[in-house]
Amino acid sequence: MLEVSAISLHYGKHLALDNVALSVADKETVVVLGANGAGKSSLLKAIAGMVRPNPGARVNLDGVNLVGRPDHSFVEQGIALVPEGRGIFGDLTVAENLELGAYPRHARPHEARQRALVLDLFPRLGERQQQIARTMSGGEQQMLAIGRALMSCPRLLMLDEPSLGLAPIVTTELFAALQRIGQTDIALLVVEQNVKASLGIADRGYLMEAGRIVGTGSAAALRSDAAVQQAFLGGAAPTAISTGVFP
Amino acid sequence: MLSSAILTGLVLGGTYALVAMGLTLQYGVARIMNLAYGDIVIAASFAAFVLFSALGINPLLGMLLILPLGFALNWLIYAILLQPLARRSRDRGRLEGDSILATFGLLFVIQGVALVIFGSGFQSYNFLAVPVNILGTIVAANRLLALVLAVAFAIGLFVLLTRTRFGTVIRAVAANPASAPLVGVNVDSVARFAFALGGALAAAGGVVISMYLTFSATMGVVFTMKALIVVIMGGVGNLMGALAAGLILGLVETLVSTYIDPGLTLAATYLIFLAVLVVRPQGLFGKATS
Repeated sequence: MLEVSAISLHYGKHLALDNVALSVADKETVVVLGANGAGKSSLLKAIAGMVRPNPGARVNLDGVNLVGRPDHSFVEQGIALVPEGRGIFGDLTVAENLELGAYPRHARPHEARQRALVLDLFPRLGERQQQIARTMSGGEQQMLAIGRALMSCPRLLMLDEPSLGLAPIVTTELFAALQRIGQTDIALLVVEQNVKASLGIADRGYLMEAGRIVGTGSAAALRSDAAVQQAFLGGAAPTAISTGVFP
Repeated sequence: MLSSAILTGLVLGGTYALVAMGLTLQYGVARIMNLAYGDIVIAASFAAFVLFSALGINPLLGMLLILPLGFALNWLIYAILLQPLARRSRDRGRLEGDSILATFGLLFVIQGVALVIFGSGFQSYNFLAVPVNILGTIVAANRLLALVLAVAFAIGLFVLLTRTRFGTVIRAVAANPASAPLVGVNVDSVARFAFALGGALAAAGGVVISMYLTFSATMGVVFTMKALIVVIMGGVGNLMGALAAGLILGLVETLVSTYIDPGLTLAATYLIFLAVLVVRPQGLFGKATS
């Protein structure tokens, strides 16, 4: 469904993405792993149209290249991003945030159905419809951000570090919800620091380092991969852990 | 004397609030600090004056023409002059600096045109200048109408912003412009619309002012300053804050000029303004974190 290739991105002279390619199949859950600054966030932003990659890049959704289209048109094509920091409308109520999620033209007819789905997934949002979004806890805000993205009837839902800053129990809850979303028709592309939990819900994974894809495999294979274990899963590689550098 | 002063203060305050609501839309949503704002107000006053004195069209009917014109003119100003600035400066600080300079130039263009056509003298016209008795206080009907119009526009705008999908979109862009594209909102076109709507409110304020005050081509800056004070007192982008702050400002000015000295009205205005800036820099009704 999603075929991304030749994505390079410069911030000034800094090369954030270097000729990245990846793909996500229909209904698949894919995770991108890598250290801080590896370019994972930039990659999601490029796929969502929030930043424009260098010429030659392709973000093909069902064979149609979306690169170069205006940023607000990507969600209309079925690509929804839950950005790092959540990006909810803090001054607005929960209900208004969800309503805005259904703003894309193709999503409007399905607003009621999607809202029911979101409230079933995150019952706490239902209890807090009239609450101003920024007064909620971090976990609730993350649920709202995901709920808002689901309101747009996405075919591909991308999440940038959804568990960042959340308590372990909230993270568990969050990944349970993501797993349920992954079992629907929606494909997931997740960037995460929490390697164990994200590999637990993923079908496949990519490893990123310094703006490049350096490895890929099934979730099961990555879980048992020595390099992944050393870098992320607390394997016996004290230098890698203490410096935080991907081996 | 007190009830008369309060009524006069409410009329003046209602006008300030009406004028300020347009500026808070332009600044809160389109992120344009528009120094030419008061000159749009005065241009609308002159338009109402011309329609009334030359063509005999009463200002209420005149609004039907002047408001859409104000909307269109501001839409064009944004599309031609300000959108290029907004596109090339993605961070807010730079856009504010650029827009202040650009609209400072625009101020003199509009003012210059008004000076050429109307000269520098004060103008006014007689519309509904009949006394009305409100609970024992005599007040001119045109002032009463000004207050009613200000309140009606405030309610209308409030309903638009809080009860419609498009209003929610406008508030979303004001709250978090970076996230708006994530839900498919075209920030450029929403900002353009909000700026134009703010311009239409400025025009409404101008027509209301012309009904009961004298005005001149060089008076625009006074209304820009007053509107700016009201916007900052009420909290940037806060509609109800602008309404309340406008009424407070009008009341204080009138009470000071009635009971202390008319020469101290401006001093009182800025004293309140400074007090608000020192004690509550986010505005009386603004949020502490924004």
